[in-house]
Amino acid sequence: MVFILGGSHQGKLEFARARYALTDADVFLCAEDTAEINLSRRCVAGLERFALNRVRAGAEPADALCERLGALRDSVLIATDISCGVVPVDPLMRAWREACGRMNNLLAEEADEVWRLFCGLPQRLK
Amino acid sequence: MSTFISGGAKNGKSFYAQRIAKAAGTPLYYVATMIPHDAEDDARVLRHRAERAGWGFETLECGRDILSCLERADAGGSFLLDSVTALLSNEMFAPDGIHADAHLRLADELETFVRRAPNTVLVSDFIYSDAALYDDLTEAYRAALAHVDRRLARCCDNVLEVVAGRVVVHKGVLPL
Repeated sequence: MVFILGGSHQGKLEFARARYALTDADVFLCAEDTAEINLSRRCVAGLERFALNRVRAGAEPADALCERLGALRDSVLIATDISCGVVPVDPLMRAWREACGRMNNLLAEEADEVWRLFCGLPQRLK
Repeated sequence: MSTFISGGAKNGKSFYAQRIAKAAGTPLYYVATMIPHDAEDDARVLRHRAERAGWGFETLECGRDILSCLERADAGGSFLLDSVTALLSNEMFAPDGIHADAHLRLADELETFVRRAPNTVLVSDFIYSDAALYDDLTEAYRAALAHVDRRLARCCDNVLEVVAGRVVVHKGVLPL
């Protein structure tokens, strides 16, 4: 399992495509209405949007991923780091931010490789 | 040697940028990119000038058309450009309206700037990691700044992230 983290627009998916030779067909891009991840794709990107969907439904995204870890062992997982701003006023945004933190910690713990992208440059964290 | 610096607000980016620029030689230029709009901006400019006093910078005011300031300076000198963020904002949200593709020209211009004035330090702001869903215009600005940042990260010799006054070297070295 590979986990790639970084701020928005930092080149996470571009890095994944190049390093792991992914094609468009390999990538499942989560949207805000993504309630279930497509486990047949090698790469799942936009996990923060999946997390937002789960939080809106009153569920814990880390738990949802925990149940699917077996199927994600060979996956490239990508999430935007949303942890570095001011504590949001909106309770939903607060819950989202914290749920993403738990999700990211879980994925970084389980992954064999963890990368962080900064201005297009990769930094290996694990 | 060219250096690109980013990081969160008030983490010490400008302090490192000033030290790196000063160590790179003379003449020493500070490219001031903010266009003051109100009394709060005026006060900020005065505060920044006071902070730079004694460092030996000559200030070049240049809020738009960044290459024009090289006509008023010795390109062999040391330049501190603070900040890419303000420059993009000035170019994108201009008096004659919104320029949605301003980042493409700005990235080209800044690459040219660094080529002509190789001893340049550029400072940007890392505005990409907060928990918020932005309106389309704000999101377009974030994507545009990230485009410029990434182009600069590719062309500069050194890429530094400043976190709580500490430096993470993502490319090259800390030139101090």
